[in-house]
Amino acid sequence: MRVQFVLQEIWIGLRRNLTMTIALIVTVAIAMALFGTGVLLKMQVDKSNNYWSDKVEVSIYLCNKLSANPNCKKSEPSADQKAEIRKQLESMPQVAKVVPETAQEAYQRAKEQFKDSPGIAGSIQPGDIPDSFRVKLKDPKNFAAVVAQMSNRGGVDQVVNERAILDKFFKILSGLQWAALTIAAIQLIAAVLLVANTIRLSAFNRRRETGIMRLVGASNIYIQLPFVLEGAIAGLVGGVFAAVLLSFSKVFLLGRLQKNLQLATPLGWLDVTTVIVASMCFGILLCALASFLTLRRYLKI
Amino acid sequence: MIHFDNVTKVYSHQSRPALQGVNVAVEKGEFVFLVGPSGSGKSTFLRLILKEERPTQGGIHVAGKDLSRLSNWKVPHLRRRIGCVFQDFRLLPNKNVYENVAFALEVIGKPRRFIRKVVPEVIDLVGLEGKAHRMPDELSGGEQQRVAIARAFVNRPMILLADEPTGNIDPATSIGIMKVLDRINRTGTTVVMATHDAAIVDAFRKRVVELEDGRVVRDQSRGVYGQAYGGV
Repeated sequence: MRVQFVLQEIWIGLRRNLTMTIALIVTVAIAMALFGTGVLLKMQVDKSNNYWSDKVEVSIYLCNKLSANPNCKKSEPSADQKAEIRKQLESMPQVAKVVPETAQEAYQRAKEQFKDSPGIAGSIQPGDIPDSFRVKLKDPKNFAAVVAQMSNRGGVDQVVNERAILDKFFKILSGLQWAALTIAAIQLIAAVLLVANTIRLSAFNRRRETGIMRLVGASNIYIQLPFVLEGAIAGLVGGVFAAVLLSFSKVFLLGRLQKNLQLATPLGWLDVTTVIVASMCFGILLCALASFLTLRRYLKI
Repeated sequence: MIHFDNVTKVYSHQSRPALQGVNVAVEKGEFVFLVGPSGSGKSTFLRLILKEERPTQGGIHVAGKDLSRLSNWKVPHLRRRIGCVFQDFRLLPNKNVYENVAFALEVIGKPRRFIRKVVPEVIDLVGLEGKAHRMPDELSGGEQQRVAIARAFVNRPMILLADEPTGNIDPATSIGIMKVLDRINRTGTTVVMATHDAAIVDAFRKRVVELEDGRVVRDQSRGVYGQAYGGV
């Protein structure tokens, strides 16, 4: 096997089909980038989901003087009432843990949470956030019963289910993920068809050479390898562009998500690199396979 | 070297067989003219030797190998022992004489040092001394055919198949081509040449196998082209 000869043949093939090759590279790059973005989003969703699923709580805010809820009658529940609410919560089978939080503690926590946004932190007053019970559920999915029993109880202002907020967020993310994967799938089909067409043209352009190769007894590998590698190289170059695009989507899409929404757990460069390498390998294999199958039809051995 | 044992070939979309019950034995070092009108089966005969086609019936042995038992991935090795020359030369227009001949060795993975040694020898053998760096379109038809012969012979095949090698060449130049083929034959290479060229067959007086409608109608050592096709 003479490497130089094979490389030379590949170069001739790629150059003769320059426009097709460029189209192929662009298509592969977009397909791989979208595919990778879809996978990254999926990883982000899974990771955030895992991270948050044992942290989400149902918060039961008690009435205070500022409550808008008419049931509260603008007054705080008595200590007995509070103890009763707590007892009721603890007796529910879905509940794992009940942690009371006083208005003062809530104020401190909010100040801490928004310390990077002085405007918000400054406008918070003690007592804005009433006393509450933070309820940890055994299974975060079984929130309905707790919410239902607590909602219209005397002394309770609001029941906030954090899970519902998270779900909304995850729905947006997984919507993005499926959109990216769907477009990636369509692009992949286009890429496969383009590979087939490029290799067919290439085989036609070089039919004289391959005819002679066959005649003088070149082995099938020798005849086919330049074509298969031609497809694989187009896949590789497309993959490199896809890697660049994926790095962009890590920095701009996921980076922004993480910055703007405190909900997101960061996805490291290790994850991104894994996705890039995987989608590159996938792209190269796909192109090489498509070339090989096309050759079986258009190149007589 | 080449044995056809009761070979019949029917192409799938045709009812009339291209070859019918052909028995021919060509021994090592022979020179055989294959004659007959167009469509008589000459090309099929050559394609069967290369295992480009399989016989519908009968057995073929080439260079000691039973072709029906030769697996597909071994066919390239068979073809390395057979050189081929065609009426239309089949040179690569973007390669010069040297590169065209070297191509045949490059694609079977011969080392460069070997190629550099044998290609000039073969170019001299076919009478193209000093023309190694000419492009095919700078050569006459006769010279192009010499390049094609050099390419077919550069790997020292045991058999050389020539399908109307003088079909596109004027009679005077054809004699030169025949001399090259004769020189190759004298090195011990078996030559089978399909031709319509009566003058050449008559002048060279080699073995003649005549095909008609896929059957061997004459097999004659030191034969002539035959009267039915405008020969002497």
